[in-house]
Amino acid sequence: MKRILRLMLAAAGPYAPQFRRTLRISVAAGLAQAAAYACFVPLLAELTHDPVDTGRAWLWTGLLATLVAAEGALRVRELGFTYGYWHLVTEATRLRLGERLRAIPHQELARRAAGDLTSVVGANATAAATAVSTLSTLFVQLVTVPVVLGLVITLLDWRLGLVLAAAVGAALPLVRRVQRASNAGFHAVDEADAAAANRIVEYVQGQPVLRATGQAGADSPRLTGVLTDQQHTQSAANRSAAVPLAAAQLLVRLALVALVAVGAALVLDARLSAGLLVAVVVTAARFAEPLSMAAVMTKLFEMSEAALARVDEVLQLPALPVEPGGTDPKGFELRIEQVTFGYDGQQRPTLREFDLTVPERSLTALVGPSGSGKTTVTRLISRYADPQQGTVRLGGVDLRTMDPDDLLRHLAVVFQDVYLFDDTIRANIAMARPDATDAEIEAAARAANVHDFVERLPQRYGTRVGEIGSALSGGERQRISIARAILKDAPVVLLDEPTAALDSESEVVVQQAVERLVAGRTVVVIAHRLSTVVGADQIVVVDGGRVVQRGTHGELLADADGRYARMWAAQQAARRWQLPASDPV
Amino acid sequence: MAKPEPGGLKALSALVATEPAVRTRLRLAALLGVLAGCAAVAGFVCAAYATGSLFTDDPSFPVMQTTGALAALLISFGARWLAEHVAHEASYDLEVALRRHLADALARMPLGEVQRLSSGRIKKIVQDDVKALHAAVADALPFVGSGITQPIAALLALGVVQWRLLLAVLVVVPVAMVCLALLTRDHAAQRARYNAANERVNAAVVEFVQGMPVVRTFDDGRASVGRFTSSVREFTAAVAAWIATSRASGVVNQLFVVPLPTLLVLVAASVPMRAAGWISTTDLLLALMIGAMPVEAVSPLMHLANLLNDAKAGAVRITELLHTPPLPEPEHPREPADSSVTLTDVTFRYPGERTEPALDGIDLHIPAGAVCALVGPSGSGKSTVARLIPRFFDVTAGSVRIGGVDVRDIRGDVLLRHVALVFQEPFLVAGTVEENVRLARPDATDAEVRAAAKAAAAHDFIVDELPDGYRTEVGERGSRLSGGQRQRITIARAILSDAPVVVLDEATAFADPESEAAIQEAVAGLTRGRTVLVIAHRLGTITDADHIAVLDAGRIVEQGRHAELLAANGRYARLWARHDRAADWGLARAGTTEGRAATTETEAAR
Repeated sequence: MKRILRLMLAAAGPYAPQFRRTLRISVAAGLAQAAAYACFVPLLAELTHDPVDTGRAWLWTGLLATLVAAEGALRVRELGFTYGYWHLVTEATRLRLGERLRAIPHQELARRAAGDLTSVVGANATAAATAVSTLSTLFVQLVTVPVVLGLVITLLDWRLGLVLAAAVGAALPLVRRVQRASNAGFHAVDEADAAAANRIVEYVQGQPVLRATGQAGADSPRLTGVLTDQQHTQSAANRSAAVPLAAAQLLVRLALVALVAVGAALVLDARLSAGLLVAVVVTAARFAEPLSMAAVMTKLFEMSEAALARVDEVLQLPALPVEPGGTDPKGFELRIEQVTFGYDGQQRPTLREFDLTVPERSLTALVGPSGSGKTTVTRLISRYADPQQGTVRLGGVDLRTMDPDDLLRHLAVVFQDVYLFDDTIRANIAMARPDATDAEIEAAARAANVHDFVERLPQRYGTRVGEIGSALSGGERQRISIARAILKDAPVVLLDEPTAALDSESEVVVQQAVERLVAGRTVVVIAHRLSTVVGADQIVVVDGGRVVQRGTHGELLADADGRYARMWAAQQAARRWQLPASDPV
Repeated sequence: MAKPEPGGLKALSALVATEPAVRTRLRLAALLGVLAGCAAVAGFVCAAYATGSLFTDDPSFPVMQTTGALAALLISFGARWLAEHVAHEASYDLEVALRRHLADALARMPLGEVQRLSSGRIKKIVQDDVKALHAAVADALPFVGSGITQPIAALLALGVVQWRLLLAVLVVVPVAMVCLALLTRDHAAQRARYNAANERVNAAVVEFVQGMPVVRTFDDGRASVGRFTSSVREFTAAVAAWIATSRASGVVNQLFVVPLPTLLVLVAASVPMRAAGWISTTDLLLALMIGAMPVEAVSPLMHLANLLNDAKAGAVRITELLHTPPLPEPEHPREPADSSVTLTDVTFRYPGERTEPALDGIDLHIPAGAVCALVGPSGSGKSTVARLIPRFFDVTAGSVRIGGVDVRDIRGDVLLRHVALVFQEPFLVAGTVEENVRLARPDATDAEVRAAAKAAAAHDFIVDELPDGYRTEVGERGSRLSGGQRQRITIARAILSDAPVVVLDEATAFADPESEAAIQEAVAGLTRGRTVLVIAHRLGTITDADHIAVLDAGRIVEQGRHAELLAANGRYARLWARHDRAADWGLARAGTTEGRAATTETEAAR
């Protein structure tokens, strides 16, 4: 209870004061409702009395009407929060989450699946807002009214109170069992669903081979098992929660009959007035439905608590720390000094005592097998995470003392996987410098060989990338991302071999774009094809997280047994490879 | 909160109708629901009479009435429980049946159609849309029984027992009806705006999270956070607009669609009626117990409308997928005589597109055992040619023949056994390496599996690098292997299938530069002795091909051998010159102008 209240207050964020006030209003409304039901006691005592004292009956009716009106007025105010703040709480939560995601270490971000974060900012944020704006007040109502009325009934006749208490006491453990069972059921069903989903994707992607081998169709062996398994899991989960739920609901209803029976016996013994019994039966009848609803509601509360907790967890993530003592970098020399770095949860460090100096306005290529640590080097330069030992400096300044925004202002990064936003081509280029003029954007686009093909598009720079997504080739997308980097005009450029996965058709134009991007800057490039970096000022061969060789292409080739020379020979052979022609007939 | 679209509901009931056994059980569930509702009301009537009997002159313990109440209660409860159980189980059966029908439809429709729908969308329909039916099917029917029957039975019972109090309740019923109408009124414009804003904000969230590396390096908080922020704000505005129109009905709902106002009206009406001696204590008691039932049924009915709403869009999508026309199977199937491939005057237009045909008058003959390369700019039709051979789609005009037989006259499974495809993402199933290779020929021996892996340059890494060799679990879709390893396992599978025709896309085959040499070896193993059609990107690899066809805008503009085409000095010769220059490209030393010089030259060449 305390935990969920704390989570709700945290999720309410800037609207926490309004939220608190609403909770108080809810309690007041619940009390008014309970008091209104309590009014039935004297009222029915009058109405079941022969002859009826109309004066007093009208008096109690008037009081009842006043309480109903009071509750209504309070509910309207309560609704004011539900209607007036749900979207504001959603907005505030999403914006706070967005800020947080920008501020936390990138490593933290990478550790979480993109899908998970998406659902935190998407569905969980709205669920949290719903919990705050709607479920909280519903919960207050579900608790206050029965508690107050139970007390009233007990005060009127403790034996009837006992009957109710016994029923509720027996139902509560059942409700808890419903909770546990539906939780377990949820997880089991989730797992079965995920397994089935994976198998369905497999089935779709594997159609050619499955059809060829007679494994496709309604009885596909790849699907049948997982689908029936899914059915059994769902059915079992449903039953395991439904049985205790039904038992709890039955108990509440039986309590009503028991109340009538015990009450009747008491009236016959003249230990209870018949009028009072009527009042008790009427109020108790009002609870059969809400109480069984409470059992159903536990599932909802459970889900919102999970959503609240997930939102809170992301909001609580610590931001990338900035240590004091930062100055402006002098020049843009990059220096990695004795850096040891391992990813979270990895036993062996990815980089070990790694040293690298990239002089200002020079080009350094990182080469080596996959998994050797090349990408990690560029990540540390953009402060993806901080090294466990050693320092990374830009212009002599330790990155840890630089404001992350300042650091990123000096960097332009071109990734191997191009990410374009579903917006116009202009906006995709301009995001690097929102105040750039159209002329500047066009100049960057020309330099990146984007201008010509954009001019051929129906709406030119105003064409939305999403609408023509598949119409843009890999090379064209890559060039747009390079135009973005050119427009940014940052002194340091990090490249993850941007031509690796392109076909020869687009290679030349992308190559030109890259040349214009790197000209005159401090550049670190990850290269898979050695031929693309023979002209680098420095080639660094990385293996097992260490620098195993460094030098210019010529120097490295001179060591014929060296790692570089062997890689070079292998790649040259692969380049000369040809598809075997048909056997000569 | 809109009323369910009739089209959606029709689709939903049509889906249920495909399974008569399920439909019968659902009808039973509805009947049980009706019984439950009637019995519940009867129970309250008995309870009211039990209490009312105490006001007679010589009261005795109301044995009959309490027993009646207990019996009615147990019947009501049992019927409701049974109704839910029957409906849930029937619904689960329906779901499995629908998924199997969908699997069948997928296995019969053109492969190209499957590819176009994409595995993500199909997964959403087969899993999520089918699942969304459950709430509507399993919860709705028992509820129709209890939620609609119970309030009607309550009104009837009250009318029989004391018509004057029924009149008092009927004063409230119109209010409830108006509320229901208000609440379920479709604010179509606001709803559409809300849905659009919701979609945009979800897309922006996905973008913001997935594009975070770009967001972080390319925006200082003004542009792309701006994108995210503005879509978040737009959503807020859409919600605000919707609330502005629905707020009044929400308030009315909160104020009147609760029991207390009805009870107040009943009490107020009872005061003069009791004074005049028109109604008995029992009448009053019964009215107070069941009089609020019609009002209380309003919100569950609203909830039901929402459930149906959620299900109906899915029902439409499921129906569409089920009704996708299957690829026709031949009545008199024939077997290909050899492994030659012939395209005769092939014209092809993608279904549903009215623009230029993707292929226009293609004539191409690949003799058995020959290697044919397709080259040309992206969008020229290379992949389309490749897809027509395994009959991903049927040609619009002309014919595709394998071994002299039109592919439309070859049974689907036979055709796919004849053609090995290496042009999609490497496809692996969750299971062991061995299972993945064997998928192509379930009866292959261990020795054959190993031989295929060796030919695909996969045996060594399987034995040396994987923890359990051929028994290593590859993870969902092969996630525990590298791209190059996945590729070689799919090639081993193709080799094991021993299909005489191979269709290969060089770009996807060599997507992993790290293991290029090994994959080259695997491809050589696959193509040896087979008829090969390759979509070539690096011209250097196909200079020895028996035949090269240059495509542009859906037509073959040149064809011949490498030397002949170079001599012709046409389109191919220009592509070759360009390829040569690109292959020799290197990043120039920073600050020099060498690169620029080369650039200008290339531009001139274009």
